[in-house]
Amino acid sequence: QDIRRFFAPTKPAAPKPTQGSTSTDQDHARNKKKPSSKITSPKSDKRSVKRKKRLIVDSEEKKEGKQKKDPKEKNASSGKKNPVTYVSDSDSDEVFTSLKKSSKPGKNGCSQMTSHLGKSEEAQTASLKSPVTSSAPSLKRGTKNGVSLTPTKAAAPQPRYTPTSVVDYFGSSVIQRSDKKLVAATSTKRKAVSNEIQDHESSCSDELIAKQLQMDEDIELEKQIHEDEEFAKTLAMLDEAPLPKKARVDTISPLKDSSRTSSADTKAKAKSDSPKQSPVRASSKLALLKRRADKEEERKKNKQEKKGKMVVSPKKEPATPTTSEMAVTPKTDRAFAAASKSRSFSTPKSGSSKTSPTKPETSPEDSEKKRVNSAAYRSYLNREGPRALGSKEIPQGEENCLEGCVFVLTGVLESMEREDAKSLIERYGGKVTGNVSRKTTYLVLGRDSGASKTEKAHSFGTKILNEDELLDLIRTKPGKKSKYEIAAEAENKRTKSQTLGSKGKATPPRLKHTPLGPSPAKKSLSAGKTRAVSTSSPGTSRASPRRGTASDVKKSLKFGCGKTLPPAPHHATDGDTCSLLWVDKYRPRSLKNLIGQQGEQSCANKLLRWLQHWHKHHRGDTKTAPRFGKFGGKNDGSGFKAALLSGPPGVGKTTTAALVCEELGYSYVEMNASSTRSRTSLKEVIAESLNNTSIKNFYSGTSQTVSDKHVLIMDEVDGMAGNEDRGGIQELIGLIKQSKIPIICMCNDRNHQKIRSLANYCFDLRFQRPRVEQIKGAMMSIAFKEGLKVPPPALNEIILATNQDIRQVLHNLSMWTATDKVMTYDQAKADAKNARKDMKMGPFDVCRKVFTSGEETAHMSLIDKSDLFFHDYSLAPLFVQENYIHVRPAAAGGNLKNYLVLLSKTADSICDGDLVDKQIRSKQTWSLLPTQAIYASVLPGELMRGYMGQFPTFPSWLGKNSATNKHSRIVQELASHMGLKTLCSKDAVNLDYLPYLRSALLVPLQSHGAEGTSQTVKLMDDYDIIKEDFDSIIEISSWGGQPDPYSRLDSKVKAAFTRAYNRESHLTPYSIQMVKKGRRSTTDFESLDPENDLQGQEEEEEEEGLTADAMIRRKKTKLTKEPKQEKAGDSGKGKGKGKGKGKK
Amino acid sequence: MSLWVDKYRPTSLAKLDYHKDQANQLRNLVQCGDFPHLLVYGPSGAGKKTRIMCVLRELYGAGVEKLRIEHQSVTAPSKKKIEINTIASNYHLEVNPGDAGNSDRVVIQELIKTVAQSQQIQSSTQREFKVVLLTEVDRLTKDAQHALRRTMEKYMATCRLVLCCNSTSKVIAPIRSRCLAVRVPLPSVEEVCSVLTGVCRKEGLLLPPELAKQIAEKSGRNLRRALLMCEACRVQQYPFSADQDIPETDWEVYLRETANAIVSQQSPQRLMEVRTRLYELLTHCIPPEIIIKGLVTELLGNCDGHLKAEVAQMAAYYEHRLQLGSKAIYHLEAFVAKFMAIYKKFMEDGLDNFMF
Repeated sequence: QDIRRFFAPTKPAAPKPTQGSTSTDQDHARNKKKPSSKITSPKSDKRSVKRKKRLIVDSEEKKEGKQKKDPKEKNASSGKKNPVTYVSDSDSDEVFTSLKKSSKPGKNGCSQMTSHLGKSEEAQTASLKSPVTSSAPSLKRGTKNGVSLTPTKAAAPQPRYTPTSVVDYFGSSVIQRSDKKLVAATSTKRKAVSNEIQDHESSCSDELIAKQLQMDEDIELEKQIHEDEEFAKTLAMLDEAPLPKKARVDTISPLKDSSRTSSADTKAKAKSDSPKQSPVRASSKLALLKRRADKEEERKKNKQEKKGKMVVSPKKEPATPTTSEMAVTPKTDRAFAAASKSRSFSTPKSGSSKTSPTKPETSPEDSEKKRVNSAAYRSYLNREGPRALGSKEIPQGEENCLEGCVFVLTGVLESMEREDAKSLIERYGGKVTGNVSRKTTYLVLGRDSGASKTEKAHSFGTKILNEDELLDLIRTKPGKKSKYEIAAEAENKRTKSQTLGSKGKATPPRLKHTPLGPSPAKKSLSAGKTRAVSTSSPGTSRASPRRGTASDVKKSLKFGCGKTLPPAPHHATDGDTCSLLWVDKYRPRSLKNLIGQQGEQSCANKLLRWLQHWHKHHRGDTKTAPRFGKFGGKNDGSGFKAALLSGPPGVGKTTTAALVCEELGYSYVEMNASSTRSRTSLKEVIAESLNNTSIKNFYSGTSQTVSDKHVLIMDEVDGMAGNEDRGGIQELIGLIKQSKIPIICMCNDRNHQKIRSLANYCFDLRFQRPRVEQIKGAMMSIAFKEGLKVPPPALNEIILATNQDIRQVLHNLSMWTATDKVMTYDQAKADAKNARKDMKMGPFDVCRKVFTSGEETAHMSLIDKSDLFFHDYSLAPLFVQENYIHVRPAAAGGNLKNYLVLLSKTADSICDGDLVDKQIRSKQTWSLLPTQAIYASVLPGELMRGYMGQFPTFPSWLGKNSATNKHSRIVQELASHMGLKTLCSKDAVNLDYLPYLRSALLVPLQSHGAEGTSQTVKLMDDYDIIKEDFDSIIEISSWGGQPDPYSRLDSKVKAAFTRAYNRESHLTPYSIQMVKKGRRSTTDFESLDPENDLQGQEEEEEEEGLTADAMIRRKKTKLTKEPKQEKAGDSGKGKGKGKGKGKK
Repeated sequence: MSLWVDKYRPTSLAKLDYHKDQANQLRNLVQCGDFPHLLVYGPSGAGKKTRIMCVLRELYGAGVEKLRIEHQSVTAPSKKKIEINTIASNYHLEVNPGDAGNSDRVVIQELIKTVAQSQQIQSSTQREFKVVLLTEVDRLTKDAQHALRRTMEKYMATCRLVLCCNSTSKVIAPIRSRCLAVRVPLPSVEEVCSVLTGVCRKEGLLLPPELAKQIAEKSGRNLRRALLMCEACRVQQYPFSADQDIPETDWEVYLRETANAIVSQQSPQRLMEVRTRLYELLTHCIPPEIIIKGLVTELLGNCDGHLKAEVAQMAAYYEHRLQLGSKAIYHLEAFVAKFMAIYKKFMEDGLDNFMF
């Protein structure tokens, strides 16, 4: 097996170095084009698209500049209304889209879909035949149509088209295409040159149209937005905003025009050059290639000449002109319109045609298959991946242009993988879900799409887009500010105003009542302060409600303990903040700021209520505090003296506990894993500080309010382990039982063995991970405060990568943005991928991932693949072995012969894996594990990769193996019991004796019934078989689920047999119980050296008598105390089994 | 009432029915009072154990037939207790160290050595050496076999080893060189027939020679199996008829059905079914070698000349790897998959040739 083969799919880039080298610098300049798209299908019009991209980047920057200005202006004029308008953006968006729908029927989802589908289909086929020449006759018409019709369209919107049947359309198109084929065939080579020129002319004219349309749209759009009701109040103010925008557009357009003309010039130049450069135009394809080369050159030139000033966007045109055409062209003309569309596609498709030459044959078939459901499923099973990966340029849309839109992807998108499409949508703020629902804004339809989704979309009236329309949507949709960003800004403003309003007061101190003292200088300072405060308001603090202001808390806290830390220095001195970690810097200051703990039933609130009422519930002695909270009506934990907060790391358990204490004015002593928490130390430290006289003094004394305001926070209780903290949990439980103060414990894993005992005494509060949105909001506000620019979708990625761990998100953010304050989506995604926590995958997932082909596995490297094996290297090979037969390999292509060959190869590879496994286990050569990974997981995966028809099944080997071991033990026992008579090995007993012995045992019973029992018992005695052995013989010799012959016997016969067997005692030459072994061995010793055979025989008999006595005695006892005896026997047997297992 | 196979087991060298020359040689060997270590090997059902017991009886007399089962426990250096069953008379000890699995080395080191080291007290009345009979030596690990090497030499005076196994291929060369190898081949069909007829005569039955021959062939000259079959025939039908069908063991039937299933259809689904069948065989403790052998014999019947060689070669290849590996099912399945692939190809190619 050549391993190198498996590297190939992961790195298709290798074979085409020239392309890469020419475009690398540009790629760097503009960020991220899909590498796959770049390489797999070189595009001839890449240049223009890239130019356009650059343009968009430019314009975006400008826009951003403007946008930045705009809000500022708005802020200045009306501070408070701004957030409102922006928050309602998503709503207005919907309104806007609906408006757009009515105003622009050409863009309507259904009609467009059907027509577009047909067109693209046809366009592809046409282009495939002769990428350039075929479109020649239709081109002029198409462009003419475009030119002539667009003004009318712009002026008067056309009525909606009702969705026409796709199949109908296809039918006609097929005929049309075949005609065209003829035309294409007849068109001569010399046409090619003129075609190209025309092509460019038309593209230029199309650009013009597109531009105009674009501008019209923009203006319209803006108007629509601002006509919204929500904006009515702010209209006057906002009127200013669009104006400059418009002006900008206007100013740009001439610029664009000029640049376009210049580009046209260069193009023309290139055109005139090209014939010379390519003297032989043997085929249109060749010409195409040549042209591409020219463009490549040209692009370089352009780049040097006007960096970033390039304006022409030929990519923009396909949608707009064609849609307009579609709107007007009568049905008969459609074919031509489609052909004209093929112009726009012809160049990219030429790349695709190379990669998938089979396309023209299959695509009409596919459309037919859709009719029949079963056929559709079949085609789903065999459906290939995208055929023209990367053939289409991924547009650079405006930021957040898709926000508020919910997408559903179905079918195979031709130019990108599902995963890429998803990330593309997410990049622009859109959301991708799996199923069509009422909320779905768009359904993106690909090849071989699911019929049910389409139907659903129709019924819900969801807009249906195809791939190109999706790209267009991204291209054309205006960007908007993320609602998170806006919220963050708003919040920031609010906090600012607050801080301005109540300076110094709003910063609650972070109290850490740790035994470790604070720095002396600060301490004295703070001591002075606190004293001052305490003297000033002794009475008010008592009267003030528990949910007081922060300052109140502060006061009372200071009261509670004579020495406290100085207030946390965050807000006091700005210099200190820089040195703080963000996690500490943005630690929530009040309960309201906690992420994901806002609900009435949230853990924080429950904890708050519990702590609030703690003293009420536990005022008296422990007798009034029964622990019924678990099952009582109110689940407020009133019966518990301690609370147990459990949840994954980084969700804010400690913070919550601390904040709740602060909120209620409790001081807390925190014990975490950094302090020794053994039985003794717990007793000393905690009991002394909490439960002893000092508090009691307070309790009996005057200052009662302060006395009971202590909380013990036991952080990381699941870390109380090892020698250091021995008995810590028990002591803690004891402490809880007799505590006079509330105790809050925290742990990660609530179901841990050690915690379970503790959990019984605690009010159970389980923290869940906050939702992504919750974290996102908070993070956006922090990012804003830090002056970061993180696009919300990027943040999404970061949060998901950290598995919703707030702390981790903050750390990552602060790390990644340490150098650069701006973070792009792609950068964030890449970083997030690096920082992704290694998720533990279950063996089922691993197995599925090993075999399934598709998006998630297509990009895996060899290392990734072998890493799958290491998720559980003992189980993974078993799973692979169990399930490889269920996979339909894509490589077989439905050929049974190939399938079987693949199966055989896979099985061989798995065998190799087994050999390696044997070496590893027997010689402890664990360094061979990677080798095993290749053989046992990677190679089978590569060979069989395809579709997995069912959920992976659990490896049956484990069960079968234990069954084998069990049977092997039974056989061994039988063999040893029968050993005296049979004198043969275990295998011989199993293979030869048992089948016949069974029949010999059963035949008397079967034929003679109860009379045959004596015969059977005699035979058993002869072979020293006891009843258990008899049963195991029956068990072991039943095959393939057949009912064993013994169970078919009459129950009377069975009973008679049992009675007959039990009637007499049976002498066995072996000991049934271990106990007798000792005695036996001593008698053996005595009879070791007999004088003659006779004597030996006598002794033997004597001995047998002895055992017989023992047996009889046992029988008797068994009669009287049967259950107990049986139990003993069972346990003995179990022991034996255990040993047998050990041996095997 | 025992089964015939045990009832009519010959107990002395003189009574043996076949390989009489060898029996004579053994008697001569024993009669001179001393004999070297023996390595008795031969296929299952040839009568190795019977022959060994006859030798021992020749050596020690009837006392050797007073057998008892002993339950010994040996403590490994790692404080692990190993229980092992032994069959012993006053003169010899029969151990199957393979029962101890991976710790068979400990059994060899402790148990055998202890027995070998102990001197006979009354050397005047009996032989000065004991015999330790080790069965299934081919199942011993290499470690255990090496542990045996020195013991065999050092305690030669007090202890003789008789090793019993099916094949010497897994016995390491040093041990083979220390022993006198005695091969006990399978009896010929005629010998089996004569034994069967003799047993039936003793039972007072009349066995038709055709049936006897049939049984002999069906049993694969395994005398033990032949006798068991014969008795089963007796239970099934008496008086015997020459063409009565001989009851087969379940696993043989099952194995044959499995082979037929492979031949009748080659598809992934069938491979899955075959896998369950193979598992069934394995869980019934049918050794994988026997499974693969049974499959090949059945499969070869359905193959043409060219394919035959290929399949046989394949089977040998997979059988070898099966010994090297740890999970038999993998290799059995790989063999079946390979056969399916080859067979399918062969059939389709044949069909194509037929068509054109």
